[in-house]
Amino acid sequence: MEELMQNLKHQIVEQLNLQQVKAEEICNEQNLFGPDGLGLDSIDALELIVLMQQKYGLKLANPADGQKIFQSVKTIAEYITQNQPK
Amino acid sequence: MTYINGIGCISPQNTFRNDEFLKEVKEYATDKMLCIDPDYTKFLDPGAVRRMGRLLKFGTTAGLIALRDAGVETPGAISTATGFGLLDLSQKFLADVIATQEGVVSPTSFILSTHNTVSSNIALLCGCHAHNNTFSQRGFSFESALTDTAFMLQEGKQSVLIGAYDEVGQFAHAKFKHVGELRQEPCTSSDILSKENPGVIMGEGAAFFVLSKDKTANSYGSLSGHSTLFNPENADELRNWILDFLTAHQLQVEDIDVAALGYSGATKQDALTETVQDLFKQSTITAYKHLCGEYMTASAFGFWLACKMMKTNSVPDAVIIENRQRSPRVVLVYNSYKRYHSLMLFHAC
Amino acid sequence: MEIFIAGKGIITSIGNNVTEILDSLKKYKTGVGEITILPTGYAGKLPAAEVKYTNQQLSEISGLDISHSRTTFLSLLAARQAIADAAIPKFDSYKTGFISANTVGGMDKTENIFKEYLADSATLKLTETAYHDSGASTEVVAEVLGIKHHITTISTACSSSANAIMYGARLIKSRQLDIAVCGGTDSFSRFTLNGFHSLMILDSEPCKPYDENRKGLNLGEGAAYIVLVSERVAATLASQPLTKLSGYENANDAFHQTASSPEGKGNYLAMSGALRSSGLKPEDISYINLHGTGTSNNDLSEGVAIEQIFGTHIPPVSSTKPFTGHTLGACAAVEAVFSILCLEKGIILPHLRFTTKMKELNFEPCTKFLENQDVKHVMSNSFGFGGNCSSLIFSKARA
Repeated sequence: MEELMQNLKHQIVEQLNLQQVKAEEICNEQNLFGPDGLGLDSIDALELIVLMQQKYGLKLANPADGQKIFQSVKTIAEYITQNQPK
Repeated sequence: MTYINGIGCISPQNTFRNDEFLKEVKEYATDKMLCIDPDYTKFLDPGAVRRMGRLLKFGTTAGLIALRDAGVETPGAISTATGFGLLDLSQKFLADVIATQEGVVSPTSFILSTHNTVSSNIALLCGCHAHNNTFSQRGFSFESALTDTAFMLQEGKQSVLIGAYDEVGQFAHAKFKHVGELRQEPCTSSDILSKENPGVIMGEGAAFFVLSKDKTANSYGSLSGHSTLFNPENADELRNWILDFLTAHQLQVEDIDVAALGYSGATKQDALTETVQDLFKQSTITAYKHLCGEYMTASAFGFWLACKMMKTNSVPDAVIIENRQRSPRVVLVYNSYKRYHSLMLFHAC
Repeated sequence: MEIFIAGKGIITSIGNNVTEILDSLKKYKTGVGEITILPTGYAGKLPAAEVKYTNQQLSEISGLDISHSRTTFLSLLAARQAIADAAIPKFDSYKTGFISANTVGGMDKTENIFKEYLADSATLKLTETAYHDSGASTEVVAEVLGIKHHITTISTACSSSANAIMYGARLIKSRQLDIAVCGGTDSFSRFTLNGFHSLMILDSEPCKPYDENRKGLNLGEGAAYIVLVSERVAATLASQPLTKLSGYENANDAFHQTASSPEGKGNYLAMSGALRSSGLKPEDISYINLHGTGTSNNDLSEGVAIEQIFGTHIPPVSSTKPFTGHTLGACAAVEAVFSILCLEKGIILPHLRFTTKMKELNFEPCTKFLENQDVKHVMSNSFGFGGNCSSLIFSKARA
C-alpha cells in the first residue's frame, strides 16, 4: 500500500505535469482537488481517469465516480487495491 | 478615429518589452525562427502554464502585455486571428490517437487544440464576458479580426483587444519543407532582403493591440484603415488597388512617409512586392519578415512595427531597405501571404 | 438596416437538401446510427450522424477532385444550394462575401497520412496536407462560387457558424457587402471522435438532450449556409424573402475552457443580448432551437439561463441534435436553416427520445412536429468550448 501510494504520487505529478510540486511533498491524505489541496480541476480528473486505465487497467465508466475515488492519494490507492484484477 | 493604446508582441526578436525597440537583431541561419520566450511566470499562473503548449503560452501572454500596456483590465471585446491554430497541441493529440490505435488518450491536448483557445483563455484571465471571436483565413485572418474590431468600436465598445498568433509547428514545417517553399541554402535571415537566395524562413509570433476610439497618453498612433485583395490577376490590379485605397483616404503616394513591405523570400510574392515598392519613390522603404519569418498572420508583426516606429518617431536600421530620411508620421504596411494581399494605414498622433 | 434571408442550403445525415431534411424532421427520422463511412475503431461501439456518402461520391457530386477534404465537399454542396435557392438576379454585379466556419478544417485528410508522417516526416504527401488549415475549404469553395469581395473563416468551436452569420450581417449593415453567404461546415473525423470520447461526453446510445437520464452527445457532420442580403438586393428578388435576421449576440462565459458555468452566465448574456439587439421581449419568441447537446453540463447551464430570461412563460423549445448529431462548426448554421424553416412553414420541430424531465428545470422540450403554428420569431442557441456563446434571432420578414 505504501509503495503503491509513492508510485501514484510520481505518476500524478508526471501525468498532470505538476511543475511546481514534488511527489515527495504530497501527503497521503491531502486533498487533491480544491483550493485547500493541490488545486486540481475537472480536466485533471479526466487525466486521472486516463492514468487509472493506462497504469492500472481500471476503467471508470462514469466520470462522476472520480469525485470520491480521487479525493486523495490514499483513496486512489484503496480503490486500486480493492478493484485491481489479481 | 481608432487609436492603438497598448501593444504586446512576442516574436523571434526581443519584442516583448515595450520600452525597447529592436536594440539588437537576432539572426537566424536555419529555415525556421522561433519566438524568444519572456519569463512566463510573470504573467501566467504556474498551475495553468503546466498544460499550455508554446503557442497558448506566448499568445496569451502577448495579449496580457497589450492589456497592461494600455492600462485596460477588461476589454469591451476580444477578436483574434490564427492561420493554423494550435498546431502542436492538435498534432500531439493526433499522435496519441494513432499510438494507442484509438485507445485511451489524454484529453488535455484536445481540449486546448481548438482555434479559439487563446482568445477564450485571455477572456478567462481578464474576466471578459463580451464578444469573443477567432478568424482563420490564411493571409486574411488578422485583417478579418481588424474588420470585426471596427464593428465593435462602431457599436460602442470602449476598447477592443485584437491579436494574431501562429506557431511554426513541426507538421507545417515538414509540409512547407517538402513543398520546397522553405529556404534550402543556409544563409542568415537578413538575406531575405538581398533576394539572391529565394525561399522563405518559416516564422511565428503573437502580436496583440488594444484599440479604442479614445486617445490616451500611451497612444501609439491611429489606424486609419485597412483593405484586402484576394488573388489579383496582375501587378496592375494590385497597384490600382493600392492607389484606390490611398485616394479613399485622401492621400497621394508621396504622403506615405514609411512603407513597410512584407518581403518574405517567396519569389512570386516578392516580385509583386517589388512592383509595390516602385510606387513609393519618396518614402522610406522598410521590411519586417526577415525579423519574424513568414507565417499566415505575419501582417500583425507589421502592425507592431508601424506602432513602434510612430511612437518612437524612429525607423531602426534593422528594417530599412531604402532610407529617404522621412519621419514615420504616415505609415503604410503592405503584406502578402501567397494570394492574399492586405494594406494597413497608420497616422502618428 | 434590415438583413433578409434570400436562400438556404444544407446537407446533413438526415438529408442532402432542404426538402429531404424537412421530410425527415416530419417523419421523426434520425440520422444518428452506426458509423459506416469513417474508418474508426469505434464503429459499432459509438453511434454518430454521418452523411452517407463516401469521399469518392462527394467528390463526384460536388465536381471537386478527390484531393479535397470532406469538409470542403460538404461546404460546396450546401453553399451551392443556398445560392441557387436565393436566385439573385445579376448575382455577379454585387459585392458578395463568403463567410464560412469550421473547427478542424482538413483534419480528415491529415489524420489519414499522419501515421506515415510520424514514421518518416519526409514521406508527407502533398495532396493530403494542402488543405489542413481552416481557411483552406473556404478559399476553395469561394473560388468555385466566384466570390471574391470578402472571404473569411471563423473558428470559435461549436458557436463558429453563428458568429459567421453575425459577421456577415455586420458586413452588409456597414455597406461593405450587398450579399453574404454565411454558414459552416465540419466533417466527422477520428480527431474529434477521439477527442470528445476522451472528455467522456459521448453517449454510447443515441443522445437524449434535456433528459434527466442524458449521458452525453453524438457527433454528426454536415454543412449549411444562408444567403443574407441587404434591403436593396431583397427588393430585386422575384419572390420576396419571408424571413430576416433580427438579432444576435456573441458573449463569453469566461468560466472554464470546456465546461459552462452552473448558472449559465455566457448563455444568459448571449440570449439576452440577442433579444436586446432585436428589440424583442422574451414573450415575443415563438420557439427556441436549443443548443441542447445532451451533455449533463450544457443542458443544465442552458436550461437555467432560459428560465432566468423567460421565467415561467417559456415558449416551445427543442433540440434538433437528436436528428443531426452535433455538427460542431456547422451546427449553428444547420440550426439557422431549421429556424428559418419554422418561420416559413409555421412549424415547431420535435425533440426526439425525451422521456424524463430534468429535475433542476421546470420545463420540458416539445416532442411533436407541430404544424399550422403562428411562428413569428425564433431564437437559436449555439454554445461552445472556450465559453463561446452565441444566440441568433430570426423573424418573419413581415411580422
